Amino acid sequence: MPNTSFLTISGKKSQLTVGGSGPPLLYLHSAGGETDWMPFHEKLAKHFTVYLPAHPGFADSQGLDQIRDIADYAWHYVDLLAELKLSRVPVVGFSLGAWTAVELAILRPALVSKLVLVDAAGLRLPDAPMAELFIDDLAKLRRLLFKDPNDPSVPLALPKGLEDSRILQWLKAREATARVGWNPYLHNPRLPQHLRRIECPTLVLWGRHDRLIPLAHGEYYAEHIPGARLEVLDCGHMLPFEKTDEFVERTMAFLA
Amino acid sequence: MRCFAFHLMPWDRLPADFATKYESAWTWLPNAIYDPQHGHTLYNRYLDELCLADELGFDGVCVNEHHQNAYGTMPSPNLMAAILARQTKRVKIAVIGNALPLYNPPTRVAEEFAMIDVISGGRLIAGLVVGGGPEYYSFTINPTHARTMFAEAMDLVLRAWTEPGPFEHYGEYWKLKYVNPWPRPLQQPHPPVWIPGAGSKETIELVAARRFGYMGIPYFHIDFFQRNFDMFRDCAAKSGYEASPYQLGWLCPIYVAPTDEQAWAEYEPHLWYFAKQLLKGLVVLPPGYTSARSIVGIHTALSKFLSTVETRKQIEEGAYAIVGSPATVKQKLLEYGQRLGVGNLLGLFQLGTLPGDLTRKNMQLFAREVMPALQSVEHASLPQLVS
Repeated sequence: MPNTSFLTISGKKSQLTVGGSGPPLLYLHSAGGETDWMPFHEKLAKHFTVYLPAHPGFADSQGLDQIRDIADYAWHYVDLLAELKLSRVPVVGFSLGAWTAVELAILRPALVSKLVLVDAAGLRLPDAPMAELFIDDLAKLRRLLFKDPNDPSVPLALPKGLEDSRILQWLKAREATARVGWNPYLHNPRLPQHLRRIECPTLVLWGRHDRLIPLAHGEYYAEHIPGARLEVLDCGHMLPFEKTDEFVERTMAFLA
Repeated sequence: MRCFAFHLMPWDRLPADFATKYESAWTWLPNAIYDPQHGHTLYNRYLDELCLADELGFDGVCVNEHHQNAYGTMPSPNLMAAILARQTKRVKIAVIGNALPLYNPPTRVAEEFAMIDVISGGRLIAGLVVGGGPEYYSFTINPTHARTMFAEAMDLVLRAWTEPGPFEHYGEYWKLKYVNPWPRPLQQPHPPVWIPGAGSKETIELVAARRFGYMGIPYFHIDFFQRNFDMFRDCAAKSGYEASPYQLGWLCPIYVAPTDEQAWAEYEPHLWYFAKQLLKGLVVLPPGYTSARSIVGIHTALSKFLSTVETRKQIEEGAYAIVGSPATVKQKLLEYGQRLGVGNLLGLFQLGTLPGDLTRKNMQLFAREVMPALQSVEHASLPQLVS
């Protein structure tokens, strides 16, 4: 069973869940805040010791007032890895977490051994704009995020409504995402010029039917990160939820 | 009780398929729908209605700020207040208010408000607001900074009015080497400050602690106002003083005609246009705009919001609007005013599609047969302003 504890990272109380056994793997979660142990975490944990931290402002991690932009999230992980005495770890990031992972790999290349980017935020492509994530209508969000809005994994990823016990956690996740992603909208205008600095092998995984962050973003990342490879799956934005087995298999094959 | 005429300056011509085609009257409603030629007529008519309030003996007029919407086409209430400063002679001019995080730097607000105060001979009431949820979409301002930006800007504006310049402001959001606005306000130490709120405890505590005025945001059930005003009085008591009714304002749609039936017959279609069309999309709570807990609370209170009301009976029960003969309206306003303990009635005499002739008749009848009784209700003295 995974174990959740709290660390103090440069003054911020930070939630960290650790599960599994084997070499370390850092999983950086998405705007949806999948900080509870999910089926894909469990599957990765069969081969790795999975470190699943909650970004500041998510779940029971505090210190959002010290966060101004995505670079502050990346610095937070520089500090967290130092606290854990980890370096040269594989980092798997999904959406917001993938963007954070990219920023981390640029900032401190030596900390990241391999990078798996899943439907990553972080770029603005004028011809392939991202959709509006900051809407309240959960039914609409479901259609935006999943290829099939009735996908069986929907209840795992999204609260049902105001009466759902996860609603406060969900609203906090939205707030933390807005903190770093409201303006500029879920991207860093200076990121493209720095992608060339990424030194580690990189796998880019994308849902062909991602309506939030179009596939063109995956293609851009694959083209501009040296040596990166793009693999496209038949799903929407919520790839780890919609294609759990394929996500884990491809990640395992790449990290092996 | 002091009587103010509040104007939203709404857009009164939405397309026939609005209800089915558009999800909101805010932010994303295409501005191709705005017809400048008709806007010319509307702005001038609406300004005339506020000038009429001056002639009719109202205590004040109110304007406010909203962007990119059909609900209130007044992105710059200061422009309207500047016109009113010249075209009215005696009314207070309440700008409720300027959405401080939208002004960069916010010393702009100190300057413009001081101009209006000086031109009008000290008739300005200075409203300072966080700005509505939709504004954070329209201006792409990060809502997770709304409260902290507002707090910094409010302190800066008050300092700019009261502290001899030039001085340096070095804040989280603004770094200004030379704060030294000309002109200074005519009212000293500064114009009365009113802050509107939708019932968040944080705002009520702040306004009460600083002894400013708290204006209850309308379209909620009367019980919600009661709760908020009671909370305000409690907070004032905790700050060591007794709140004056003049620190509280009740914003409410009002329509008067010779009989109850005539009033409802004339008013109802326009009220529904307002409730069902223009309110659509008003209450949007972007992430971090207020705490997660408050967001859940406000969403819950929304089950008793005017836009969810369906019948005249519900309108009357919740006092979402006060409609009827002069006798009915007078009796209700006196009763609710006393119950709520408010010293300022901010009446919306024009709403939605309500045309000019009915608006003027409404105001005239109200001024002649209702207002004197309200104005004769005296309250304890005005609160002491502290800066």
